[in-house]
Amino acid sequence: MIEAKGLTKVYGGKTAVAGVSFTVKPGLVTGFLGPNGAGKSTTMRMIMGLDRPTSGSVTVNGLPYAQHKAPLHEVGALLDAKAVHTSRSAYNHLLAMAATHGIPKARVREVIEMTGLEAVARKKAGGFSLGMGQRLGIAAALLGDPQTLILDEPVNGLDPEGVLWVRNLVRYLANQGKTIFLSSHLMSEMAQTADHLIVIGRGRIIADAPVKEIIAGTRQAKTLVRTGAALELSALLAGDGVTVDQSEPETLEVTGMDSRQIARIALDNRVLLYELTPQLSSLEDAYFDLTKDEVEYHSHLTSGPAVSAPAAAGK
Amino acid sequence: MSTMTETRTVPTRSSAGSRGVTFTGVLRSEWIKLWSLLSTRILLLLTLLAIVGVGALAVLIRYTYLDEMIRRARDQGQTMTPDMLEKSFPPGSGFDLYNLPNAGLQIGILILGSLAVLFMSSEYATGMIRSTMNAVPRRTPAFVAKAIILAVISYVITTIAGVVTFLIAMPVFQGMGFDLDWSTDGVLYSIFTGGLYVAGVALIGLSMGTLLRNSAGGITVLVALFFVLSIAASFMTLIPGEFWKYVPQYIPSEAGGRFLSIGHTDGIIDPWHGGLIFLGYVLLFLIPAMIVLKKRDV
Repeated sequence: MIEAKGLTKVYGGKTAVAGVSFTVKPGLVTGFLGPNGAGKSTTMRMIMGLDRPTSGSVTVNGLPYAQHKAPLHEVGALLDAKAVHTSRSAYNHLLAMAATHGIPKARVREVIEMTGLEAVARKKAGGFSLGMGQRLGIAAALLGDPQTLILDEPVNGLDPEGVLWVRNLVRYLANQGKTIFLSSHLMSEMAQTADHLIVIGRGRIIADAPVKEIIAGTRQAKTLVRTGAALELSALLAGDGVTVDQSEPETLEVTGMDSRQIARIALDNRVLLYELTPQLSSLEDAYFDLTKDEVEYHSHLTSGPAVSAPAAAGK
Repeated sequence: MSTMTETRTVPTRSSAGSRGVTFTGVLRSEWIKLWSLLSTRILLLLTLLAIVGVGALAVLIRYTYLDEMIRRARDQGQTMTPDMLEKSFPPGSGFDLYNLPNAGLQIGILILGSLAVLFMSSEYATGMIRSTMNAVPRRTPAFVAKAIILAVISYVITTIAGVVTFLIAMPVFQGMGFDLDWSTDGVLYSIFTGGLYVAGVALIGLSMGTLLRNSAGGITVLVALFFVLSIAASFMTLIPGEFWKYVPQYIPSEAGGRFLSIGHTDGIIDPWHGGLIFLGYVLLFLIPAMIVLKKRDV
């Protein structure tokens, strides 16, 4: 259980996190989503007591992290895969961390085995690839078999097999009743892994809801229609609250009307349709809708016609 | 890498039980950190050899000089016993024989002081500091554990090196007829205080590494404090006026150096005053470093 109340961090006049409040519940995988610079890492660093909040507070399992008697058993965190001395072996790194709590050597070997690092455990961590560094970070997070797991971009740099492993691991741990809080910029990853989403943009919480609700609530569903009489159909469908976009000569994207209604109009007017496909709104669409005004660093890509969807999935 | 694909999908039963953070645990952790770096082990061995080596060289130089004096006196038809020779040098002139164990001390200060800076600054350089603060979020125990380990290592190495240096020096000067052995006034004292002095320098080094979070910067400031400042101080004595003659003895290296000698000399602070002033300097850096470490974001 992680509880943040009015958490704020100001770095030299720039507000990185602006009074966020949220609760991460046990037994669920909670995703923390937001564009670069939105304040995800800063928030996680404040949870772990690495950064001191400018104001507000955050507790993990009821206490500020630093006040726990056995912090590694309460929270395991992967905040930065590079939090390792480059000349020390992975085994000795884990051993040194374990020693602080008197965690037995057997557990160190166990997490090395769990993360598939056996072959490189005695090698200098400085020579690790991004993926191996990530596995070492996860091994360190699991060391104390913690009740709460905080992972900042855990699949970053992992191969597909590793991504699947992380997904299964967090799912398994959540099913055991543990609290899982993970950030990712891969929205497709979140769609498959998370149960609940907290979306942050420019240091503020934009959405805090179950994944399904966020997908359903943001953008109106689209329907793809293919017909030889695109212009004619387009004119027939047009009306209040209905948007028709023509992306290709014989292809229409219809918003504001479902496929049954479109089929009815087409039949009534004897227009032949050769495809009628409801387009499920993806988490990716939902995410872009939610954060499009909150992105810190715009990539200046020309976007299509602006669709104004209400950010409905608020609290 | 093919070995990477052998990951388990489901974690095995955990055996992670423990009592939580204990100071002994943190101490063991910091020891593992220090000792698990091959470079540290090599450096510590070389430090021992360097202190003894420089010490032996200093023994050779003194031997040659004293031998020359005796021979020259003999050539001029005078008798010059080692006893008379010893009395011809004022105390604190650097020709006392009791401080031979610390003949190679300066090189020890340089290396162990730098190692102490690196013990902390390398954690900032590599990002290890965040793992350290994750495991010990109260932070202060990790700093204190580092301080204890550095102080003990510095003390032990300096003491061993001092004993070895004296074992080399003793027969050389006994052979010349000097009355010098373990019971000579100041010998054991200088071995004891030499270790304390270097341990103190290591603590200042650790504080520098913590305050500056930068290896090069920390070592530079440490060298400035213990080497450049003493050169500057020797120029200070050239400034006209009585006042400036008394200032240099209060700088860290001079106060600490005075702590290693015995006896009272008019116009110079007593050894235990030097020791207290040096301790003051250690605390002057150590306490702000601990406060800053506790408060600062990592």
